[in-house]
Amino acid sequence: MSELLSAWAATTPAFAAPFLLATIGLIINERAGVMNLGVEGIMAIAAVVAVIINLSGGDVALAIIGGVGAGVALTALFGFMAVVLRVEQVLAGLVTFALGIGVSGYLGDGFQNQPVAGISPLPAAWFARLPTFAAGILDQDFLTWFAFIAAVIVWFVLTRTGPGLRLRAVGEDAPAADAAGVPVMAYRMGAVLTGGVFCALAGCHLSLIGAHLWVDGMVAGRGWIAVAMVTLSRWSALRAIAAALLFGAVEALVPQLLSSGMNVPVYFIEMSPYLATLAYLLIAGLFQTGADARPADLTRPYLREERR
Amino acid sequence: MWRYKPLVSPRLVVTRRLALLTLFGGIGTGLVLCTLFLLTQGMGLSDLASQFIGYTFGNPEGLDETLTRAISLMLVGLSVTLCLRVKFWNIGVEGQIWAGAMAATAVVLYHIGPAALRLETMFLAAMLGGGLWCGVCAAARLYLRANEVITTLLMNYVGAMLAQQLLYGAWRNPRDSFPVSQSFPHGARLALLGFGHVHAGIFIALGAAAFCFWLCTYSRVGSMAHAIAANPLAARAVGVPVARVVLLMACLGGALSGLAGFSIVAGEEYKLTQFVGNDYIFPSIVIAYLARANPLGVVVAAIGIAALYTAGDSLKAFFELPGATVLTIEATLLFCVSCFEFFLRYRLSFVKRGRMETP
Repeated sequence: MSELLSAWAATTPAFAAPFLLATIGLIINERAGVMNLGVEGIMAIAAVVAVIINLSGGDVALAIIGGVGAGVALTALFGFMAVVLRVEQVLAGLVTFALGIGVSGYLGDGFQNQPVAGISPLPAAWFARLPTFAAGILDQDFLTWFAFIAAVIVWFVLTRTGPGLRLRAVGEDAPAADAAGVPVMAYRMGAVLTGGVFCALAGCHLSLIGAHLWVDGMVAGRGWIAVAMVTLSRWSALRAIAAALLFGAVEALVPQLLSSGMNVPVYFIEMSPYLATLAYLLIAGLFQTGADARPADLTRPYLREERR
Repeated sequence: MWRYKPLVSPRLVVTRRLALLTLFGGIGTGLVLCTLFLLTQGMGLSDLASQFIGYTFGNPEGLDETLTRAISLMLVGLSVTLCLRVKFWNIGVEGQIWAGAMAATAVVLYHIGPAALRLETMFLAAMLGGGLWCGVCAAARLYLRANEVITTLLMNYVGAMLAQQLLYGAWRNPRDSFPVSQSFPHGARLALLGFGHVHAGIFIALGAAAFCFWLCTYSRVGSMAHAIAANPLAARAVGVPVARVVLLMACLGGALSGLAGFSIVAGEEYKLTQFVGNDYIFPSIVIAYLARANPLGVVVAAIGIAALYTAGDSLKAFFELPGATVLTIEATLLFCVSCFEFFLRYRLSFVKRGRMETP
């Protein structure tokens, strides 16, 4: 039993990291008033490009740069639709999702199921002095570490610095921010692209660390989960860590349970995070808590000429 | 630096001509882009014509596949359409399909209701299941302010995983223990119409389209929905029961997706499988949007998208194009149509710098 527990705890951070990266990316977007439902597609295209580069002989750094570049290119398309043309954001997000999944299926057609070197955990010697249990949890790869550190940095930038304040102002009340001299379009576009970098990193994490290969349908709804996790973490990058650990822990539990041969209702366990998020939404609505955390101008396009 | 600067101003009046022009401009641009893309994949124009038009409509086998697929696509397209009419984003059609399919299967497996009315009971159960799946999300938005984009999305997973749990558990086929339910008896199958796999569900889908058209265009609820979509606060102020209308439209929308689940299990598969509710979310949105949320347009758009899938299957077989082709084409079409809508909502003009910059 304790073996199962320590194996579970040691695999949880790597399962949680892609959720966390995507969620903080989305938090940056939504704090500026843009809801990006295209994460799933952005993650897919980043994942496939990273694998293709790694398979074609590029090293890990090049693979990540390529993956992020592809993800940001797709995000730019979303930004063009949602911020510049002011297409309804839900619609623009769905288009981005489908384009990302479709194009990644195209690109990755000849590269499916070929194992890549990917990214290995940090050297075990660094953690040799720690107790085994702690060493197991801390001995992750650098991208997983980056995810958790980035969450704290993003929280700090958004809540404690000037640009963060202006970004949140754009998301809460775009007309007022505009009147105060904040360039609304530039901030929204910047937030969309920065968020896209994190979403793309989440995709690279999935293919280079999680699976060590590319296969169609690999993102498997994790982008959509991230969209829901933004609500669960109430638009705070710090609380996103807890939410990501919750989803990561459940996802890490299933293979452990299956390999231990226990007879458990696997799909009910996998369903539990979704039910938890739904329950959270309903309870938050019932007691009116956290209702104010949603940026007031979320999904509302802004055009100075049609000011309210 | 630049002598002219662009000026975007909202349009107050949209003529029908402009609306049609932007719609067909968008679809046309999208088709041209897709054609160019497929031409770079080593296909000739004649190949494209024979695959996309000749096979999907001219060949009995292709037409059969197109029409059969169009049945469920019409129903989910109508589902999104009804919800769009009250500005309710239903991106949970898959969950509603699962709910409807599970409800219909439960009726068969547990022999609910009189045997003579088995199909009718399944029909009602599927509507109830789908309607409930969407209705709770609508209620959560109206009374608890929970964003429907998130809740309908999450309900997809709840539905899919509930079905998997049942298929690997209580409903697993006892004969060969594959994760599919028992085959339905003949009394629980929709009649075939003597043309390939096309089944009686096509009358359900066409009837539903006619009903939705009546509902949106001529009924009281339809005109109230129109007011709500334009401005919910103003609608409430003049006495429109906003909550009840939104709830009704969302439940009806969910029920239509539930019927799609029913038509798949009772008309195509004759059993509940693991793949009943897969890959419907994006097509449903595309169909509703290409039809500009007009129920009669949905019929046309659904047949068009179904033809796209038929052609995609044969492209996969003959030209070894990946299965992602269809999704890419759909996305390109919707991208162009939604970008063209910019000209519908805004007037773009260029004004000289330095002069008065307001029109």
